[in-house]
Amino acid sequence: MSVAVAERSAAPPQGALRPVISFHGVSKVYPNGTEALRDVDLAIHQGDFCFLVGASGAGKSTLVRLLIRDEAPSSGRIFVEGQEISRMARRKLPKLRRKFGIVFQDYKLLTRRTVAQNVAFALQVTRPGQRHLREKVEEVLWIVGLEDKLDTFPDELSGGEQQRVAIARALVHRPRIFLADEPTGNLDPDTSWGIVQLLLQINHRGTTVLMATHNREVVDLVRRRVIAIDGGRVVRDEAEGQYMREGSATL
Amino acid sequence: MRQVAASLWFALRSAGQNFRRNLGVSLAGVFTMGLIIFLVGGGLLFTHSVGTVLQSQEQNASHLKIYLSDNASLAAIANFESRLKSDPRVISVSFETKDAAARQASQNPDISQALSVLGSNPLPASLNLVVRKLTDLRQFNAMAASTPIVDKTTPTDYNADVIGKLNAVITIIEWVGAIIAVILMTISLVIIMNTIRTAVYARRTEIEIMKLVGATDWFVRWPFILEGMLGGLLAAIFAGAVVYAAYRIFVQAAQGHLLSVPFDGPYTVTLLALLLVGGVAVGAFGSFLGVRRFLSA
Repeated sequence: MSVAVAERSAAPPQGALRPVISFHGVSKVYPNGTEALRDVDLAIHQGDFCFLVGASGAGKSTLVRLLIRDEAPSSGRIFVEGQEISRMARRKLPKLRRKFGIVFQDYKLLTRRTVAQNVAFALQVTRPGQRHLREKVEEVLWIVGLEDKLDTFPDELSGGEQQRVAIARALVHRPRIFLADEPTGNLDPDTSWGIVQLLLQINHRGTTVLMATHNREVVDLVRRRVIAIDGGRVVRDEAEGQYMREGSATL
Repeated sequence: MRQVAASLWFALRSAGQNFRRNLGVSLAGVFTMGLIIFLVGGGLLFTHSVGTVLQSQEQNASHLKIYLSDNASLAAIANFESRLKSDPRVISVSFETKDAAARQASQNPDISQALSVLGSNPLPASLNLVVRKLTDLRQFNAMAASTPIVDKTTPTDYNADVIGKLNAVITIIEWVGAIIAVILMTISLVIIMNTIRTAVYARRTEIEIMKLVGATDWFVRWPFILEGMLGGLLAAIFAGAVVYAAYRIFVQAAQGHLLSVPFDGPYTVTLLALLLVGGVAVGAFGSFLGVRRFLSA
């Protein structure tokens, strides 16, 4: 099946492979003096599915914002697919961001556009003149299970469905890395589980997924790599972790 | 080529859609811009009209009668007259004899009676001078006073007081016009920037999404700039139409009353063209500034 997610090997990364994302001694101090990240080192490989866990204000969102260069680090170096992005020129940022598919807790949908128009929007603004736009949009909406909602407006959808539209929009340009910042933050447990299943399916097709969350149930059920952040530091990084280590009150 | 055409089409369609979808804010912007363009255009036309009237008044006022001494020879007068005629500041010089002066004065019954009582003609011959600029009269007055054939007691009819006042009025009107124009332009820029910023703020999510999915800065900017240009164009068309209509009415009304204000066709055409170009340019520049803050955020 030719779908929006590029077919790639879902095999776990080998140690010798160059990481798709790497942080080297990264710190971020905001102008008001808040130290959001402190000396962070981490590497994420092609095909990984990682949870980024931590309490509110721990630094998860800052890490995501640094990755898409919405913010620049105060010190340290960040690489995406081997390219250093820490001091990347502004004109190069659009190309960097096209490598990512990004979803947020608040969906960020355009309420005056239909579901299909919201998804098409991502292609129209990055690849104007894209051929077979309608087919691509229908295809990706089929993946997220909204093939019958093409002409519906976001306000007429449930929270879970709106997040699926946001995921479809993030997928339509076939990103190599998928970033989800608290994607289940506004959803009930059943709907959250549906969204996580969808992210796992995306990962299964070969896309690297990094999901920032403080949804304990989801993390514990999925049993994938867990990077725990507390007070701006990476306090734990386990290949098959749980939200909290047994007996630990870290988070 | 296909990409460029698609980008342009997207920008145009987005501009139109945004304008329609945010009709309230868009129309408020067009109205504000229209009002300012009307004030600027109306102000410029008014200043131009006042300038035209003042210029004609200035020409009327730029007369100087140089009274000649009774014993001045005709040759000396002719010599002085040709000297004045060769001066580039002078428009015309005409010689008025003593008899002509008496005939002219006799049109007033009181003076006519006084002349007949006197039995002789005390009025001097004169050279009637018309100069280009009112401000030059002072120099010609001084020059006349030092010329031997000019009457020593009353060299000219130069009235420093009246001319000084007229000059002062012209200067004041020019300054007031310039100051009002500068104030209007400053106010207009601030209002337009804020109007467009409000319009851009209403669509901040759209800008945020465009940035997130990797649209280039110019791709984000173009729809807003085109929308600003569209708003500026509409505002200029409406303001231009109102300015034109108001000008025609003003010219007609003025002709029946105070002063004759001529309808200046070429100036009006140039002004309307400038208002259109200005409206479009201010709309584009205002949008550029308005969207800049959201792009760099």
